[in-house]
Amino acid sequence: MKRSLFSCFSLLLLLALMAGCQSTKKDFVGVDGDYVTGSPLPDRQEGVSFLGGNVSRGDFEPIYFNFDSFSIAGSEAGKITAIAAAMRNGNANIIVAGFTDESGTEEYNRVLGERRALAVRDALITEGISGARIQTVSFGEELPANPGSGESAWSKNRRAEIGVVR
Amino acid sequence: MKLRPIFSLALLLLICPQGRSQETPTITIKKGDAVAVSLQPLTGAEGAAATKVLENDLAISGWLNVVPGGQSGFTIQGSASAGSVEGRVVNAQGASVLSATYSGGTRSAVHQFADAIVEAITGNKGIATSRIAFVGTASGKKEIYIADYDGANVVQLTRDNSISVSPSLGPGARQLAYTGYQSGYADIYVINVGTGARNRVIKFPGTNTGAAISPDGGRMAVTLSKDGNPELYVTSIGGGGARRLTKTSGVEASPTWSPDASEIIYTSDDSGSPLLYRISASGGTANRLNTGASYNTEPSWSPDGKQVAFNTRGGGGFQIGLLDLARGSVRNLSTGGNSEDPTFGPSSRHVAYAQGDAIWIIDVPTGKTFKVISGVGKATQPSWSR
Repeated sequence: MKRSLFSCFSLLLLLALMAGCQSTKKDFVGVDGDYVTGSPLPDRQEGVSFLGGNVSRGDFEPIYFNFDSFSIAGSEAGKITAIAAAMRNGNANIIVAGFTDESGTEEYNRVLGERRALAVRDALITEGISGARIQTVSFGEELPANPGSGESAWSKNRRAEIGVVR
Repeated sequence: MKLRPIFSLALLLLICPQGRSQETPTITIKKGDAVAVSLQPLTGAEGAAATKVLENDLAISGWLNVVPGGQSGFTIQGSASAGSVEGRVVNAQGASVLSATYSGGTRSAVHQFADAIVEAITGNKGIATSRIAFVGTASGKKEIYIADYDGANVVQLTRDNSISVSPSLGPGARQLAYTGYQSGYADIYVINVGTGARNRVIKFPGTNTGAAISPDGGRMAVTLSKDGNPELYVTSIGGGGARRLTKTSGVEASPTWSPDASEIIYTSDDSGSPLLYRISASGGTANRLNTGASYNTEPSWSPDGKQVAFNTRGGGGFQIGLLDLARGSVRNLSTGGNSEDPTFGPSSRHVAYAQGDAIWIIDVPTGKTFKVISGVGKATQPSWSR
């Protein structure tokens, strides 16, 4: 009895704290050293970049995103699992590159692409992969997979690609 | 809201003749009213070329309207030779309003003369000596260029052969910050425009972009993702001392400084779609700016501090909105087509933007548009010096 009452109380307290956090979310501004909602990125490896010769691209399927979104859809979750499984079987580092379609303005697209890359990184961390093995880069609307216009092209450009460091 | 009808009535009483001859008439000068001036072609060895440049400067200025014949309150005259311009403005009574010599090359001298004319006749700051930095693709890659505001003297500032984007000019166009991908990542570089010297100043893990040099030239506002999420930071112009201003689960982008460098307006999609927020440059509460639109990006704060230009999306393309910060009112600018990346000019009445392959300027009060920079491949992301 006591145990379940304690759990219930803890849950209520947690919910109350979360509700409190939600209501002041807009007002809170971080200070140096405080954490943000993701996990800090590791230092870059010297001489390694997503487009460079020592990175293998295309080992994994790109993860695709909905319009103006950085959420990983349920239909894409299997790709994350596959990447995580491969990473557990080795010790290679990866770079996640985020991209957008052209239907946004350039600077906003650049940070949206980064947020997509970070969403993939966060999902891999949730699967138990160390964040120290995962870098991110965003190209925004640059380097589209399909240079055409219209939704069939754009849906192929809203993506995160994986580069495996050799 | 209840005050408004009374205010309108008072205004109406003020401007409508009431038959009371002893009252001093109130002259209401609208921003769209240009002062009529006459331009006598400049004499001298370079007079013809100089006159063309001057005509263009006066047309874009917005404050002045060149009329034919002599039916105006001011006459502009002068001569141009050997890279100097001797310029004069006389009023209708023949008295001198302006008389000076300008040098530094014919175009520069004419631009200085044009700004002096605007200042002498209207008391306002001209734009003729300003410069616009932008991204051009003439080389086959995105590189940073700078040109006179009228499109002359295009100079390629970067030869990175990579992706070089998001230029931001500092005060007096002495320094330029931009995002470069030479390392394979998005890093911030600062160029000394005069010497061409360049330094990579921000290279944190993740993506570093959207650097905006503060009006005092000593700091930058920038988006960094190093802590795990793209957030808004302020750093020194050398890239050190990064201090984070925001903490959200969305993204922050495109900071723009207030003219006194005390505040920053930026885009955040923390609420679900990109909206404009205003925050102290020292950190604190972020206040949302209501524009009535759900998509608001690429803000630019006017040098007089009164307005913010920004991109809004609709009808299959991008438009430019203007938010009056004191009144909270918003208007969309009629620029005749898809227009991106608005940036205010030093006059606070001109906005430059990218449309088609070119950079255009709109004079907001008159609505007149001018194509100023073209022939550099596709020109985008203008940044206008102050």
